[in-house]
Amino acid sequence: MNPMTSLGLRFVRRPGPGGRAANLAAFGATAVVALLITFLIAGTLGLSERNDRIGWRVSVGGDGREAVGLVRNVDDMVDGKPFQRLDLAITNDRRNAELPPPPGLPHAPKPGEVYVSPALAKLWGPDLSKRYEIGNPTGVISSDGLSSPDELIAIRGLAPDAPGMRPTERPNYLETWRGTSTDARIAVLFAFVAFGIALVLFPVLSLVGQAAGVAAKRREHRLAALRLAGATRGQVLLLSAVEQAVLGVFGAVAGLLAYTALTPLIARIPLGGGRWYVHDLTVSWWLVLIVLVAVPLLSVLSALIGLGRVSITPLGVVRGQTRKGITPLRLALLVVGPVMLGVIGSGGALLPLVIGVGFGALAVRVVGPFAVQVIGRILARTAKGPVALLAGRRLVDDPKAAFRPVAALVLSGFVTGFLALFMPYGMNSDGRDTTFEFSTKPATTAAVAQDAKDRLAKAGLQGEVTTDTNAVEIVVASNDREGVRTVLYDLVPGRVPLTDAEHDEHQAGLYLDMRLGVALLLGVVFVTGAASTAAGAVGTALDQAGPAKALRRSGVPLSVIERASRLAAVVPVVGVGLPVVGFGALCGLVLSGGQVITQGSSGVVLLFGQVVVGLILVTVAGAAGAPVLRKASVG
Amino acid sequence: MTQPSPQMMQVPVPSNSYPALAGRGLVKYYGEVVGLAGVDVAVRPGEALAVMGPSGNGKTTLLHVLAGILTPDQGEVWLGGERVDQLNDAQRTVLRRRRLGFVFQDNQLLAELPADENVALPLMVDGVSRREAVTRARGMLAQVGLANEANRRPGELSGGQAQRVAIARALVGEPQAVFADEPTGALDAATGAQVIDLLVGAATHRGAAVVVVTHDDAVAARCHRVVRIVDGRVSER
Repeated sequence: MNPMTSLGLRFVRRPGPGGRAANLAAFGATAVVALLITFLIAGTLGLSERNDRIGWRVSVGGDGREAVGLVRNVDDMVDGKPFQRLDLAITNDRRNAELPPPPGLPHAPKPGEVYVSPALAKLWGPDLSKRYEIGNPTGVISSDGLSSPDELIAIRGLAPDAPGMRPTERPNYLETWRGTSTDARIAVLFAFVAFGIALVLFPVLSLVGQAAGVAAKRREHRLAALRLAGATRGQVLLLSAVEQAVLGVFGAVAGLLAYTALTPLIARIPLGGGRWYVHDLTVSWWLVLIVLVAVPLLSVLSALIGLGRVSITPLGVVRGQTRKGITPLRLALLVVGPVMLGVIGSGGALLPLVIGVGFGALAVRVVGPFAVQVIGRILARTAKGPVALLAGRRLVDDPKAAFRPVAALVLSGFVTGFLALFMPYGMNSDGRDTTFEFSTKPATTAAVAQDAKDRLAKAGLQGEVTTDTNAVEIVVASNDREGVRTVLYDLVPGRVPLTDAEHDEHQAGLYLDMRLGVALLLGVVFVTGAASTAAGAVGTALDQAGPAKALRRSGVPLSVIERASRLAAVVPVVGVGLPVVGFGALCGLVLSGGQVITQGSSGVVLLFGQVVVGLILVTVAGAAGAPVLRKASVG
Repeated sequence: MTQPSPQMMQVPVPSNSYPALAGRGLVKYYGEVVGLAGVDVAVRPGEALAVMGPSGNGKTTLLHVLAGILTPDQGEVWLGGERVDQLNDAQRTVLRRRRLGFVFQDNQLLAELPADENVALPLMVDGVSRREAVTRARGMLAQVGLANEANRRPGELSGGQAQRVAIARALVGEPQAVFADEPTGALDAATGAQVIDLLVGAATHRGAAVVVVTHDDAVAARCHRVVRIVDGRVSER
C-alpha cells in the first residue's frame, strides 16, 4: 500500500485532538447530503413509477383510426369524498385482443363491468351500485394500475356508442392500454421536483464542501507540517483524498441507511392523492451505487479544492492568510435577475420558471456574502460590547463562510417570498354547496330540466329546478346528498351532479399537493440549512479553540465567544434573509406580470413560520459548536 | 523591528517590598502523578522570575496554579496580600481578568480582530466602554512600539509583532502579576530577546510581578531570578 494511503487511513482511525469532533461533523454532514440526494433521486423515480402505472389513462389525441379504445375522465363523489371515474370503451376488438390489458386489470373492461381501487371498494355501497347498475364491483384494480394505495378510482366499461362516447361527441382516443403520458397532477409534482432541485442544488453542493472543509480544518496544519517536512503536493493531496474518501463512503452509507429507515415514513406523505407504495421509493442497486460513488467523489473534490492553498504553499495556512474583500459588483445580479425573469418567464412554461428560479437563487448566493460583509462592517463599527464586536469582525473577516451555513435558509426565504405572491395557496371556499349545477346545450336545457323534475318526483324528493340558457340548477330538500346524486346520475351523460363546493374539492387535491410540495421543499431546505449551520459551527469552534483557550485562561468567559458565534450565525439570517424574502416577492411579482395571485393569508403564515423556524433552527444547530469549543478550549 | 522605548527598560527590583505573588506548600496531583510536591515561591512587585526545568516536571503546572487556572490540592496562593486559592471558579475568572495578565507561546490572538481590538477586548469584557478600551489599547500598543500597526490583523503581523500585541493585551489592564508560558518559543533568538526584554521591562516598570516559564537560558538570563523545578520541587539558582 502507498505510504500516504496508509497514513491517510491511520489519520481516519486516530484523528488526534479535536479531530474526532471534526470527523464526526464531516461524517454527519456527508450523511445528510447522501440522504437528501437519495431522497431527491428516489422521490423523482418514485413519481415516475407512479406515473408509469397511470399514464395510460391520459389520451394523447388522435383521430381514432389507430385507437384501441375511448376514455373519459369524470369527477364523482361518494360519502362526501371526491374520486375519479374512468369510462373506457373498446373500439377495436382485434387490437384489444393483441395488446396487453390496462395495468392493474385482467382485461380491458367490457360494457357493464366496473373495476374499483381497494380504497374505493371499502366505500362501495348501494348508491354506487345504483349509479353503475351493478351489485358489486366486477373486480379490484391491483397496485400495478394505481398511483397510490389510497387512490379512489373506478374504471367502468362502456359500449363505444354509449352517450358521451360517440364520435360526434369528440371522445378521447387511446392507441394502447399501456401509454406513458404524464398525468396532470403528477406533472405538477415533477415541476416541484425540478423547482426543488434548482433551489437546493447550490446549498447541497455547498454542504458537501462544508463537510469536507470541517475535516480539512483539522487537517490543514497537519498537512502543512507534512509539506514543510518535505512531502510533495501530490502526496499531500493523496493523503487528504484517502481520508476524505473514507469519511465520504461512511457518510454515504449512513445516508443510504437513514433513507432506507425513513422510507416507510416518507411513504406516508400524501402527495399526488395519497400515500406511496413503499416499493416506489425503495432504492435500487444502481442508485445505491451512484450515491456510494458520487457523494465520496464530491466530498474528495471539495476537500482537495479546499486544501489547494496548503498544497501550494504550506506557510499559507501556518501563518494565516488575509482574505480578499468582496466587491459590490455582485449587486449587479440583483438588477439583472428580475429583468431576466421578466423576459424569460413570461410564457408561464416550466423550464423558464425553473431557470428563472435557479438564476434568482444563484443571484442570492452571489450577493449574500457581500450583504453579510456590509452588515458585519456596520455591526463591528457600532458595537459597544465585545460580543457584537467579535461577531461583526467575524462576518467581515470571512463573509462567504458566514453566509454558507445559512445560504439554504436564505434561499428558501427567496422562494417563500416568491411563492407567497406568485402561487395560489388556498381555494376559494365560497362556492355554493346546496345547488347541483349542470352545463347543458341550449337545445337540451328544457328536456334536462324536465327529466330532473321527473326523477325527483319518482324518488319522492322535493326540489326546485331552475334553468338558464345553457345550465340547469337543482336544489333538493334532502340531507341524503349521495342519494340525491344517485337519483340525478347521468342526467347529462358524462356529467356527475356536483355542487360548486364539490367541484372545488376535486380541484383541491392539486392545491394540497402544491402546499405539501412547498412544505417538503422547505423541509429539505431546513435540513440542509441545519446540517450546514451545525457543520459551520463545529468548524468555527475548531478555528477558535486556540484563542478561546487563551482568552478563557485570561479570565474572559467562554460565553462571550459562544454568544459572538451565535450572533454571527443569526445575523445573516435576519439581515440578509428578510431582504431576500422581499427580493423573492419582487421576482414573483415580475413573473406574474404584477398580479398578486395569493388568496387568503396562508402565504403570510408560511413566510412568518419560515422566518421563525429558520431562526430557531440556526440557533439550535449553531449550538453544535458549543460543546466542541468548550472541550477544545479546556485546560 | 521597532525597539522598546527607554521607559520600558528593565528597572531595579525593590528589595524591601512584600511579595506581589506567593505560593506556599503547593501540591498538585494528576491522578497518581505528582505535578507539584510542595513548592514555595514568592515574587516581589517589579520582579521577573524565570521558571526552568525539564519537560513534564511541573513548570506549567506551577504557573497555572499561581495564576488560578488550576487549584492546588494543598497549599496556598497569595496575590497582593490576599489569599486567592480558595476562590470559586467564577471569582478566579474575574481575578484573572482584572488582576493578572497572560502571554502564551503562539500569541493566541483572535485572527479576525485588528491589533487594537485584540488588546481592547479584555477591557470591554470587563465593562469598559469601547471608546476608552480602544484608546487605552492604542496607548499600550504605542508603548510596545506598534503604534502604526494598530489596525492590522494578526495574520498581517510578523511573529514578533504579534507577540508584542499579546504583551500589550496582557498589560493593558494594569495587572499585579503577568504570566508568560514560553513567550519566545515560536520566535528566533534575536526577536525572542527583544520580546522578553519588552515583557519584563514593561511589566516590572509598572510594578507587576512577572513569572516566565521557559526552556531558554537566554530568556532566563533576562529575568531577575531563576528557579528550577525538578520532579515537582523547587531548587533556586
